[in-house]
Amino acid sequence: MASSFPLYQPTPCFFSNTQFKGLRHGCLWRPTYSFASSAQNKVKPVQSSVDAAPFPLLQPPQVEESSSELEPVDPDFYKIGFVRSMRAYGVDFKEGPDGFGVYASKDVEPLRRPRVIMEIPLELMLTISKKLPWMFFPDIIPLGHPIFDIINSTNPETDWDLRLACLLLFAFDCKDNFWQYYGDFLPSADECTSLLLATEEELLELQDPDLASTMRTQQQRALKFWEKNWHSGAPLKVKRLARDSQRFIWAVGIAQSRCINMQMRMCALTQDANMLIPYADMLNHSFEPNCFFHWRFKDRMLEVLINAGQHIRKGDAMTVDYMSAQKNHMLMQRYGFSSPVNPWDVIKFSGNAQIHLDSFLSVFNISGLPEEYYRNEVLSNAGDTFVDGAVIAAARTLPTWSDGDLPPIPSTERKAAKALQEECKQMLAEFATTSKQDQKFLDSSPESTRTLDAAIKYRLHRKLLLEKVILALEIYQEQILF
Amino acid sequence: MASINLVPNLSFNHFQTSSYLVGVGNLQCRVVFNKSRKKFPSYSCIRCEKKDEVNKDEVNKDEDKKDEQIDYVTVERPPYYSYMDSTSGQLEPASGARASIPEVEFWPEGTVEQVRSARAPVPTGESLGSPSYGSNPGSRRKSYRASGSGSGSGSGSGSGSGSFAEADVELSDPGLPEVMVEPQEDSEEFSSDYVVYQSEFEEKEEEVGYKLDKKLGVPHPFVDPKIKKPIEGTLTSDEMWWNWRKPEKEQWSRWQRRRPDVETVFLKAMAETGQVKLYGEQPTLTETALYRARRHLYKEERLQAEQEKLERIGPLAYYSEWVKAWKRDTSREAIQKHFEETGEDETTQLIEMFSYQTDREYRIMMGTDIRIQRDPLAMRMREDQIKQIWGGDPVYPTVNYIQDPDEVIDYRGPDFHEPTPNMLPFLKEHGKIISREELEKILEKQKTEQVEVTDIDEAMAKAVDIGENDDEEDSDIEVEEVEADEEEDEEKINRNWSVLKTTPQLRKSKSKPKPKKEGPMSLEEAVGDSENLTDFLLDFEDE
Repeated sequence: MASSFPLYQPTPCFFSNTQFKGLRHGCLWRPTYSFASSAQNKVKPVQSSVDAAPFPLLQPPQVEESSSELEPVDPDFYKIGFVRSMRAYGVDFKEGPDGFGVYASKDVEPLRRPRVIMEIPLELMLTISKKLPWMFFPDIIPLGHPIFDIINSTNPETDWDLRLACLLLFAFDCKDNFWQYYGDFLPSADECTSLLLATEEELLELQDPDLASTMRTQQQRALKFWEKNWHSGAPLKVKRLARDSQRFIWAVGIAQSRCINMQMRMCALTQDANMLIPYADMLNHSFEPNCFFHWRFKDRMLEVLINAGQHIRKGDAMTVDYMSAQKNHMLMQRYGFSSPVNPWDVIKFSGNAQIHLDSFLSVFNISGLPEEYYRNEVLSNAGDTFVDGAVIAAARTLPTWSDGDLPPIPSTERKAAKALQEECKQMLAEFATTSKQDQKFLDSSPESTRTLDAAIKYRLHRKLLLEKVILALEIYQEQILF
Repeated sequence: MASINLVPNLSFNHFQTSSYLVGVGNLQCRVVFNKSRKKFPSYSCIRCEKKDEVNKDEVNKDEDKKDEQIDYVTVERPPYYSYMDSTSGQLEPASGARASIPEVEFWPEGTVEQVRSARAPVPTGESLGSPSYGSNPGSRRKSYRASGSGSGSGSGSGSGSGSFAEADVELSDPGLPEVMVEPQEDSEEFSSDYVVYQSEFEEKEEEVGYKLDKKLGVPHPFVDPKIKKPIEGTLTSDEMWWNWRKPEKEQWSRWQRRRPDVETVFLKAMAETGQVKLYGEQPTLTETALYRARRHLYKEERLQAEQEKLERIGPLAYYSEWVKAWKRDTSREAIQKHFEETGEDETTQLIEMFSYQTDREYRIMMGTDIRIQRDPLAMRMREDQIKQIWGGDPVYPTVNYIQDPDEVIDYRGPDFHEPTPNMLPFLKEHGKIISREELEKILEKQKTEQVEVTDIDEAMAKAVDIGENDDEEDSDIEVEEVEADEEEDEEKINRNWSVLKTTPQLRKSKSKPKPKKEGPMSLEEAVGDSENLTDFLLDFEDE
């Protein structure tokens, strides 16, 4: 949605701890490793170690100062919605160099009931029903307008993004439509990180041929659609919507990255719809979101609510989960970002080395069922920040064994861990560049395009994940219970 | 003085202001006020304490005196109803703007949201940019500006693969920087894309006549008289009468449909049973009316005949029909003889006779015996027919809940205006009427057929029923019949239909013993059988 943000920011202050505490006090059971310490840059200035940190995503390196650099958005951004009875309670819209975000403007004590932070009336949205017949709420498309024929010609199964893009472009052309104003705050074509806008070189930079080919076909699809419907003979009122293919592809990118699929209910009609919801699409993604959406059918408003029992401090980013349980490449494909701490990421191991699941989990104080692993705060030290989404992803993705109470044999465990580490290292070696080179590139060229940044970050995050897994296995070997 | 008394408040104010200046006024004022107080005792007076003025008392006693005298305030009743609120412990206005607002918990549904949204702070601050109206998305982002300038400088010093992408962007929309600086130009540039409507009238022409009237709301004709043209091809009302065309769709509303009243349904049922013959599927209005008239007449005739019979044979003979136990002669002569012998007149004898009447006979006589079919057709009406009339519920009818037996038929149908057709060709056309020759032909044919038919019938009638054969057939079919019986039962109910409909067990118990079984009967069967037997006997008695 908002193109790029800090996605995962539990505590941004722990990087100075570059010690292996676990080594110092060998008896210490809980690992308190800092990520920046071991493999990467032992003696780096704090500045760059911050850059290497898993948390800020898709940001040019100078952005990391940005958490303080966030400035309030143009006041008109809220005003245009406010006069149309959109409301935001206790949140601010802020804008960093990496895009928009929603931040709490005051502390929120944990409440028993979810607390409303935004209300967005249906009139401001753009919606299309997911299935035939196409229904639009609000119905902005006049009867017999050729854009409807274009929308109708799409494949009902797959082309939801094209439909939504058509609708968006049409809304830009409607006089006095809200999106004429709101469009000024959407990321423009060169700010959008959606890979639809990426060039061929940038796709190669992904170092992921599968994803690159997927994006290529997607680009082709959008382009073909544009050529088919925006040919020279198209009527003027269609043609002026997207004079060049770039604009259309941008619109598709916006539709893909900002679409919210919801079931809305209006009187007796219940409808699954693809929706473009202003303001709600400015919420950033997190794997541990603190907000969620709710359709209030009584007055047809979308409510953004804070999770019940969530403690929120002033300045916290309000986040939602865009796609639950998706791997990085899916996120990259649709939203143009990736994360090194995606707990759902998967590494494919081919060897038959296996480690003991329960001891791995207990080393890192991970609790919960496989579907919902989480770091157990009670068991672990307060200052410990090693365990993050990447470790949880490792717990999910590492080949493991578990056989009742049967304890692991340390020597075999070590061997297995070593084998897995070897495999990870091989995978790392297969990449054309190392993570350091990627990082250096990101540092050195702040003027590169957003899509290139995103592409490089994507491969960087892949490597960071692998390195993190290697590191985790290292710690596992150290900490394994005798 | 008199005037002052009438308006005490006014005078009070007046003197209060004036008495500061004139010391003599004090006395006058007091007198006046006392008087007025006597005259209007309904005014409640409150004496306000003014403690700070007590200190001043020493300074000028004159004024103090005056204050004490005139510091009476009349308190009017508040202009709203109030009540003692037990929660706040105060007198609270019951309604209106001054009424206290209840706690949030007591607010009606949705009010909380309204209040919250109304309380939301209004956004403040002035925007620097101006909207581009969809032509230039992202133009009001701050980072857009930064990166825009950045890309401008970066394209010069472009490094690596990044420069290519930027060049691409630059190519695709070269006019971006200008657009950002001057959004006005951009709108001009794209103005060719739109059909421009002339939004303003150049000349303000003075509106007169119709337009002015319409604008001001003065009474005016619907259609502009300048535009109005007479409608051509209209007919006078007289011509319209004779040239009336039947509407294309006859019943364009379900309210024009003929409601299924009792008579139509009855007639239909009668036609089904063959008691009457109808021409169409539905009885026409005329047929219905005819039926109603006939029914009325028949009833009258029956009653009259009964009355005549009563008069002819005398009450004793007439009513002895319902007194089986009365074995004596009931002829007029016998009654006369009895009168002469005993001195009991006819009435006394009648009473004597009725003392022999049983309950059952009395019920039959009065027509209150439910086991006797009064109107066999009505009893035999199927459920769907009943529902057609009353909607299934006899107590709270959902259909035709207004049953007016004396409703006058409205013959004005949708073809009310149609001139009466020449009936003969019409009926011929529709095959309702045939010529005599045709009829004779048909009759001849029927005669021959009938002969054949009677032959068969006679043969069948004469045929001797051979037991063996019959039994075999029965045993073959029996199994199937058992199944068929269930369905037949539905139609077989001809009395007490409501009871039997609601309690199908009653029917089943009766139909059970039909398939006869060898061997001794079970108890239930025996009971059922005996029930049947009693029924049968009862029926016999009635008849």
